[in-house]
Amino acid sequence: MSASPENLVAIFVMALAAMAAKGGGFVAMRWFGRNRFVTALLDHAPGAVLVSAAIVPLAQTGGAFIVGAAVAAVMTRKVGGFTPGLFGGVGAVALARWAGLA
Amino acid sequence: MTWRSFQAGALRMILPGLASLPFGIGFGVAAAQKGLSAFETTLMSFTVMAGTSQMVALDIWAQPLPLVALAVSVFVANLRYFVMGAALQPHLPHLPWWLQPPVWYVTVDQNWAVNIAEYRRGHGDLGKFLGGGFVMACIWSGSTLAGHLAAGGILSDPTMARRLGLDFVGIAVFVVVATILFRGKRDIAPWMVAIVAAFAARWLIGGNWYIVIGGIAGGVFGALRDLRSDNVRQS
Repeated sequence: MSASPENLVAIFVMALAAMAAKGGGFVAMRWFGRNRFVTALLDHAPGAVLVSAAIVPLAQTGGAFIVGAAVAAVMTRKVGGFTPGLFGGVGAVALARWAGLA
Repeated sequence: MTWRSFQAGALRMILPGLASLPFGIGFGVAAAQKGLSAFETTLMSFTVMAGTSQMVALDIWAQPLPLVALAVSVFVANLRYFVMGAALQPHLPHLPWWLQPPVWYVTVDQNWAVNIAEYRRGHGDLGKFLGGGFVMACIWSGSTLAGHLAAGGILSDPTMARRLGLDFVGIAVFVVVATILFRGKRDIAPWMVAIVAAFAARWLIGGNWYIVIGGIAGGVFGALRDLRSDNVRQS
């Protein structure tokens, strides 16, 4: 179990920076949370973040990932809930790759 | 928040946590090549718990260590969590100060996505949020340790995970939670704006800025539209 003091300081600085990014928005909302615009923005932000996070890798990878995303969405709607959608999507990607899709 | 809800949250985030295995192993291998010890690699993964920013940091990792550059690059690479933390706060307005750092710590993509969906539907649970984050931190740190120990060995080959579709789990979580959150017609336009902004950001800026920019663009558009229709209704 070896560790140099310089590396430990750098890891500590990195951990602080990550916590500052993660906690910054949370703390800022204590001051801006009652603003009508901010409240409306945060009503829409989670969905917008999720579609942004999903759409670019889907478009870049294509093929099997698009099949997986379609199956995940349909399973979530039809079967209902998080787990069937997740397993359905991953299973569909594995099957699509087995069938030759990239 | 109960021990049982902590366990339930931990259990349901095992599969999404496993999605980080190939990336974690890859990071462990890269960290070993940069000269970090197994202990340092695991400690960094457990305390920072943000794979992309750790990878960016490894890129500039050189002696003497550029501390300011490391801090800035980690902060910027994690800016999407700023938006996620802001969206979370209204659901936890009376959170005691001593519980805030653990909540910030477990704010990572998939864990946030699953839990914000539940908070918005009125049955969020802090125990599940903390449990999910804890298990993801353990899996992430463990996978980077495995990668470090097996640097160059069989574990560094991600082909098996790809064949099983495990590289899709992270995106699958976003798709599933977005499907759960979808409220019909009122979400279509903000989401289209988010998609266009995300593609533009990816094309013009690169990196993972598209998540922050797409999220803010969609959120601002939806907010302006809602406020405008509120004003029209009031006048």
